[in-house]
Amino acid sequence: MKIKIDKASCVGNARCAAVSPELFPLDEDGYIAVTEIDVPPGMEALARRGARACPERIIIVVED
Amino acid sequence: MNDVSTNSPVAQRPAHVTDAVTYDFDMFGDAAYVADPHKRILDLVKNAPPIFWTPRNGGHWMLMTHSANFHASRDTEGFSSEIVPQAMIKAMMAKMPPGSPHIPQPLPITIDPPDHTAYRMPLQRAFSPKAMLGLQKSIRELAVDLIEKMKAKGGGNFVDEVAEPMPVQIFLKMFGLPLERQQEYRTLVKEHMEGNQNHDPRAIVARMLKLTSIMRETVLERKENPQDDLISMLWQSEINGKPTTLADLENYCVVLFTAGLDTVVNGISHGVLHLAKNPDLQRELRANPEKIHGASEELLRRYTFTVPLRRIAKDLNFQGVEMKTNDRVMLFLPAADLDSSEYPEAERYDLQRQNSVHIAFGVGPHRCLGSHLARLELQIVYEELLARVPEFRLDPDKPVTYHGGHVVGPDAVWLRWN
Repeated sequence: MKIKIDKASCVGNARCAAVSPELFPLDEDGYIAVTEIDVPPGMEALARRGARACPERIIIVVED
Repeated sequence: MNDVSTNSPVAQRPAHVTDAVTYDFDMFGDAAYVADPHKRILDLVKNAPPIFWTPRNGGHWMLMTHSANFHASRDTEGFSSEIVPQAMIKAMMAKMPPGSPHIPQPLPITIDPPDHTAYRMPLQRAFSPKAMLGLQKSIRELAVDLIEKMKAKGGGNFVDEVAEPMPVQIFLKMFGLPLERQQEYRTLVKEHMEGNQNHDPRAIVARMLKLTSIMRETVLERKENPQDDLISMLWQSEINGKPTTLADLENYCVVLFTAGLDTVVNGISHGVLHLAKNPDLQRELRANPEKIHGASEELLRRYTFTVPLRRIAKDLNFQGVEMKTNDRVMLFLPAADLDSSEYPEAERYDLQRQNSVHIAFGVGPHRCLGSHLARLELQIVYEELLARVPEFRLDPDKPVTYHGGHVVGPDAVWLRWN
């Protein structure tokens, strides 16, 4: 499973990181730091929840 | 503030506004709204068009659905935050006689990208989730202190006792302003909150000038002697590659003061009001404090309370509705978060909700800068209140009254307990 993020549209809600700071790292200003994440096995549910938590709807889960 | 619950005069309807999208609602004075805001919002969600124009308060659009608020908030070219265009403000400023006082503007709330981005950047790190963690301990100490003082009195008006003093003291602490002058700031916050009802620009400017004059001494002092506070940090920042000026600092003070204080006061008050009316929820959260985080989010959704303003910057057809340049638009976020196509049975306060992702802090580039601070303050107040005060309820002798406007909320929440 992969996560794709439209990083340019991130406005720093940080709701993804509130679900999982490991999966969704933020930069020093509180914006998402990455554009793509390989979801480690066992963290799929957290990844889905983190994606759903984004009020901007810019996090997309790409299922294998 | 029931004395203002009368509707404003009716403005003439512009030619491009059709009958089908016209609906009469006064967001400042509507009697049912001021009596019980979110009950009235649920009624509007059901009965008013999803996007409507009201002739009240000079005439403006109201966006009711989640979709309309979501898309308008993210389209800064169509929906401008420059209610008065910056070009016009600059032209007015240029005409002022030399030596006139700097008239502060609440930047970056009232500007669009790319300037918005430049002005917001220096604040972003100071209000990041990581920076907020550093404030957690002092917020908790303050909350405990205020709640214990109220508890010792055996009851009281929660708004005055806790909701209002708390954010003011956190503001002073973050800015590095002297706590001894707390009363002056609290008086200004009160004036600001009461001023929310009328939009006389001269009164707004007068309050802003009063604020910057109270702060000026500390602001200038920090330029010479930087400390570990927001004012010192902002002096060391750059905007578009240029060092910040006293005018920039004053703009920042004004924006954080006007946007960051009464909003938190109203947010906490809505939440505690709901808790006071729902002893079952109090019991559930007292027994399971780990549920308070989710409970706080659902309170934000159920009682979203801010109504940001936009100006149409170019003629457009928005979700089937014709809007013309310079039309004013209210992002009616409280209705967006009660949209049942997004949140089934939206009127229900539900801790088990599948979709609890609200837009109480807005979406798009103007997303509330202080949202991480606000979330922390809300959660800590709920935690400490539930841990320290026994089951509380509303005082039946002192009915709750509300105010409408851009920040909707209760004026007073009188609590009692046994």
